[in-house]
Amino acid sequence: MAPTRRDVLLASASAAAAALIPAGAAQASNGVYQAIDEFTGGALRLEGGVLLDAPEIFDNGGAVPIRVVAEGARRIALFNDGNPNPGVAVFSFGRLVPPEATIRIRLAKSQTVYAVAEMADGTFREASQKIAVTVGGCG
Amino acid sequence: MAEPTPRVKLPRSIEAGVPFTVKTRITHPMHTGERHDSEGALVPRQIINRFVVSYGGEVAISVDLEPAVSADPYIQFQLAVPESGQLEFQWVDDDGSVYSLSKRVEVD
Repeated sequence: MAPTRRDVLLASASAAAAALIPAGAAQASNGVYQAIDEFTGGALRLEGGVLLDAPEIFDNGGAVPIRVVAEGARRIALFNDGNPNPGVAVFSFGRLVPPEATIRIRLAKSQTVYAVAEMADGTFREASQKIAVTVGGCG
Repeated sequence: MAEPTPRVKLPRSIEAGVPFTVKTRITHPMHTGERHDSEGALVPRQIINRFVVSYGGEVAISVDLEPAVSADPYIQFQLAVPESGQLEFQWVDDDGSVYSLSKRVEVD
């Protein structure tokens, strides 16, 4: 069947909407970038130097194991971009504890988890990973 | 809510200055404040919001927790101690309760 005028208009309308997604997505996010900026004081984050060890796919979104390691870090913060609130946990390491920790977290749906490390020299490093969950850990 | 029960697991043998694994867990529902009960009423937020471990009076690690941490919060880390001493664990609840556990560490 040939597309009707209505089909064509609908298709072009959704194409226009798709082009706007970057801005729309940023607004629709849970404020994760703002939360990261609050942690870093707005400082630039470099990639590398942070290991975020997490499963790419996990059945139970209610208890996803996450391990973070950042040699030379004094603090490591975890964030998410798909739960109602972007914060997860902040670890502060004293001199007896190497900068490494494992925790189990809730993911309401498939999304990206961020690990941001504050290094001893005051700079920040970041790693992120997409995690697909089969059953969301509902809020 | 049942009284939260903290648990900590240390290795049997610990050497001075050598990092060992500390596994911690406390039973707690970690109510996010987003969920509704069977009557449709919002269950108010109540979580463990802070976890602190001290050794010989010095803070070894502290963790600020958000509702995104799983129920029965599980946290694992490495610790290296210079000598035998007392390891103190504290979990702070939104309602102000503090749950504590103390473990003696004897280095070989």
